[in-house]
Amino acid sequence: MLLPKFKFHEPKTEQEACQILSEYGDKARPIAGGTDLVVNMKKKLMSPEHVVSLSRIASLKSLQKENGFVKIGACFTVADMIEAKDIKENVNALSAGAAALGSPLVRNLATIGGNLGSARPAADLPPSLMAYGATLILKSRNGKRNVTIDDFFKSPGTTECRPGEFIAEIQVQTPPAGAGAGYLNLGARKAQDCNIVNVASFICLNKSGVIETARVILGCVGPIHLRAPAAEKILMGGKPDKALFKKAAEAARTDCLPITDFRGTGEYKRAMVGVLTQRTLEIALDEAKKNN
Amino acid sequence: MKELINLTINDQTYEVAVAPNQTLLDVLRYQLELTGTKKGCELGDCGSCTVIMDDKPVNSCLVLAMQAVGKDIKTIEGLETEQGLHPVQKAFVEKQGVQCGFCTSGMILSAKSLLDKNAGPTEQEIRKALSGNLCRCTGYQKIIESVQAASKEISK
Repeated sequence: MLLPKFKFHEPKTEQEACQILSEYGDKARPIAGGTDLVVNMKKKLMSPEHVVSLSRIASLKSLQKENGFVKIGACFTVADMIEAKDIKENVNALSAGAAALGSPLVRNLATIGGNLGSARPAADLPPSLMAYGATLILKSRNGKRNVTIDDFFKSPGTTECRPGEFIAEIQVQTPPAGAGAGYLNLGARKAQDCNIVNVASFICLNKSGVIETARVILGCVGPIHLRAPAAEKILMGGKPDKALFKKAAEAARTDCLPITDFRGTGEYKRAMVGVLTQRTLEIALDEAKKNN
Repeated sequence: MKELINLTINDQTYEVAVAPNQTLLDVLRYQLELTGTKKGCELGDCGSCTVIMDDKPVNSCLVLAMQAVGKDIKTIEGLETEQGLHPVQKAFVEKQGVQCGFCTSGMILSAKSLLDKNAGPTEQEIRKALSGNLCRCTGYQKIIESVQAASKEISK
C-alpha cells in the first residue's frame, strides 16, 4: 500500500510551523504520531500536498500543572498520558480514555492533539476532555486563540482548526474539591477496535452533597461527541444516588441519535448509552466523595 | 524527491536515500533488507511490523522514514548477541510460541519492551502488552507461556 506523494516539512519551532502552514494553507496537513493521517493517506482518503510534522517541536511535548490547570502539549503521546502522574491524580477520566485508545503500539505514537484533530466521533479522548470542560489553544501566524472543546468539533473529520492553524496545547482545569469524573468505552474487543459507545460523566457536589455541576458526554451516537442535556438537567440539584443516576441514564438515551451499522443497531447503542452513563456516574461519585 | 538520511538501526548507522512517502517499514525491508520486520495489514492493526523506537514498540508501517531520523531503532535482527538468542527469543522456541512465524518478530519485540520495564508481569499485563500484535495460529496461549518463561529466566 503506497502513500500518495507529498512534500515533507519538519519545523523545529512553533513559529516555523506557523510560517509553513500559512504558506500552504489547505494544501498542508499537520502530522504528529501519524496513526490516523498515515492510514487515511494509505487508503487514499486524504492526499495533502504538504505534510508538516510537528514532532520535532520540543515545546509541543510538554506537560505542566500550573495555576489550577493541567496543560498538555499537542504532541504529548497517549502512552505518556497514561503514565503521567499529573493527569492520573487530577483528571483521571482522561487517563482512562488514554488507556482505552488503540493498542500499546498505536499509543506509543498517537498524540492528544492528533486524536482531537482527527475528530472521529468514536475517539477515546474527547468525552473526558469535554466532561472536564477543556480548552484547546490553536496557533497560527496571526497569533493564538482559545477554543472550548464543546465548540471544537464540527462534523466527522472537521474541526474549528482552520487552514494555517494547528493545535498547540490542551488545557484542563483541575477539578475542585467535591468533583469526580468517569469514562467507559464499549467495544467488541478490549483493544484495537473502534468503540460501539463511549461515555464520560463529570459531577461536582456542593458542601451539602447536592450535585452542583453535571456534564455527561456521549460518543459514537452522533456525528460528533454530544452533550446529554436531558441527563444533565436531571442530575443538577439532585442528591447523587442510584435512583437519580438511573433516571439520568434513561434521559441520556433520549439525548442521542445512534445509527444502525455493523457495530450494532441504533437500539442497542441507545441501551448501552444508558448503561455506560449510569456506570460512569457511579465512578464519578466515588471519586467526588474521595475528593471531598 | 529523495533525500539522504541517516537511520540508527540495531546500533548501526545506515545512510539511505528515501522519498517523503516511504514508511520506515518499507525502508527496512526493501532498502536495508532487514526482512525480519514483517509487512501485514500496513494500517497499524496487526503489529507484525513492530519495531522498538526509542525504547517503545511502535508500528513501523505508520512511521515515515524521515520521522525516524535521530531515533534509536531496534528490529528483531538486533536482539541476538554473541552470547546467543535473547531470552524472549529462546523462550518462544522452547515453548512453541512460534507457529507460522509471521507475527513472531512483533510479538517478541513487544514482549521484550514489556519485560525491560516490568520483569515479572502478570498474565493480564502480558496480554495487554501484546494486544496490538495479532496471531492467527496459536490462540495466544503458547505465546503467553513463552513470555512467562522468558520472564522467569530474566528474573533468575
